[in-house]
Amino acid sequence: MKSITVSHTVSKRGEGWMSSLLESFMTELRRGTLTLAVLSQLSTPQYGYSLVQRLEEAGVAIEQSTLYPLLRRLEKQGLVTSSWDTTESRPRKYYVLSDYGMEVYQELKQEWHKMTLELTTLLKGEDNHEAD
Amino acid sequence: MKLIEAYVYEVTRRLPEKSREDIARELRSTIEDMLSEQYTEDEVKAALGKLGDPAVLAASYRDAPMYLIGPKVYDVYIRTLKKTVPWAVLVTIIVHSVIGILGFTGEEAVLYFVIKMFGTIIANVVMVLMYVLFWFTVVFAVIDRVDFSKSGQPLPTGKAPWSPDDLEKVEISPRKWTILKGEAVFGLGWTLLWTIVYFNADHLLGRYQSIEGGGLKFVMPLFNQDVLLSYWPAVLLLIGMETCLVVYKWKAGHWTVKLAAANTIIHVIGAGIFLVMASDPHLYNPAFIASFSNSIDTPASFLEWLWLIIIAGVAVSIIIEAFDNFRKARRP
Repeated sequence: MKSITVSHTVSKRGEGWMSSLLESFMTELRRGTLTLAVLSQLSTPQYGYSLVQRLEEAGVAIEQSTLYPLLRRLEKQGLVTSSWDTTESRPRKYYVLSDYGMEVYQELKQEWHKMTLELTTLLKGEDNHEAD
Repeated sequence: MKLIEAYVYEVTRRLPEKSREDIARELRSTIEDMLSEQYTEDEVKAALGKLGDPAVLAASYRDAPMYLIGPKVYDVYIRTLKKTVPWAVLVTIIVHSVIGILGFTGEEAVLYFVIKMFGTIIANVVMVLMYVLFWFTVVFAVIDRVDFSKSGQPLPTGKAPWSPDDLEKVEISPRKWTILKGEAVFGLGWTLLWTIVYFNADHLLGRYQSIEGGGLKFVMPLFNQDVLLSYWPAVLLLIGMETCLVVYKWKAGHWTVKLAAANTIIHVIGAGIFLVMASDPHLYNPAFIASFSNSIDTPASFLEWLWLIIIAGVAVSIIIEAFDNFRKARRP
């Protein structure tokens, strides 16, 4: 109840200001998880659009204009390797995790689990306070 | 399809040559992946709309930074500028003062010569500032892009890393409103300036005339130098008080009620001496007054008004400064 009244007064003050601030926080939050989300889908070779679809199915919204450059950057950093498949009617560039990429992905995954656990504890504590 | 080709072209033309072909090929295949078998033009437009502005897409393909001085070198950049700019300005001022003074032939009036030299110095300082800023910015922009370390760490600033021991050297100023040393020095410079003007008024203040289109020449003084100098005890007293005030300010380091009071009193005394002197009819050179009223048709009421405005201006500036100083002294 408390949080609802607070957000109500804030939105009265200026809805545009509030929502643009919120948006920038959310973008920042999402940007941090983007690499992990992409790496997680590249154990098997994927081409650009198949990756977009897989991520969308999982509910991860990612701009295509962000994804394709990101893939090339990951390749440059040696985390993924790419190859052109010209056997089908349309040539497609496939990306797959390299050994090094796999290692980095495992490390990141562990870090993510640790972080979510920490934050869950923190956020749960906050909920308990509000219930008091 | 023309639209797809146009889009691919719009992206790749903004990219370095060597990566163009591969990105073009991948983009084309990706766009076609987004479309159905028998696609319509509207479908293509929707797909391209999803990919967004080609300029934005190209910018995210490019790894080059979209800034001139990045966070990695910013600290060192600012530090270097702070260290070099004052020296560059100082050296420029000294060099051009020396050149100007050596070139003084004595044909021109002193005031005219001084004003001309100031102009030259200011112009040269501005030019040197632009050179310094431009070249340092270029050099640091290059350093930022070359990135010797590849670590992404900020460049070392040449200082040892901070440790809590450094805090022992920090002096906490007891008051918020500190007097900058520059403010005190400025006060001293001002006193020195009007002292010089006072003792040399007979060839500084007066009427200047351009002779045969050449430089300005000093024609006649504004004051009777004898009468002006007869006020010397009062003027010397004022110089002494102002000098003491500067020393006091320098030592105190911040505004106190006592200092603000002394400042105000000295200003009032100074203004009083000025007004007494200025209202002495014998002070002015009669020849100057005569030539002044000849060259400009001035009604007597104009001079009266001018006089009132000067008095009011002096009074208001003293009150404002006193008010400000006391406010700073009171505020912790």
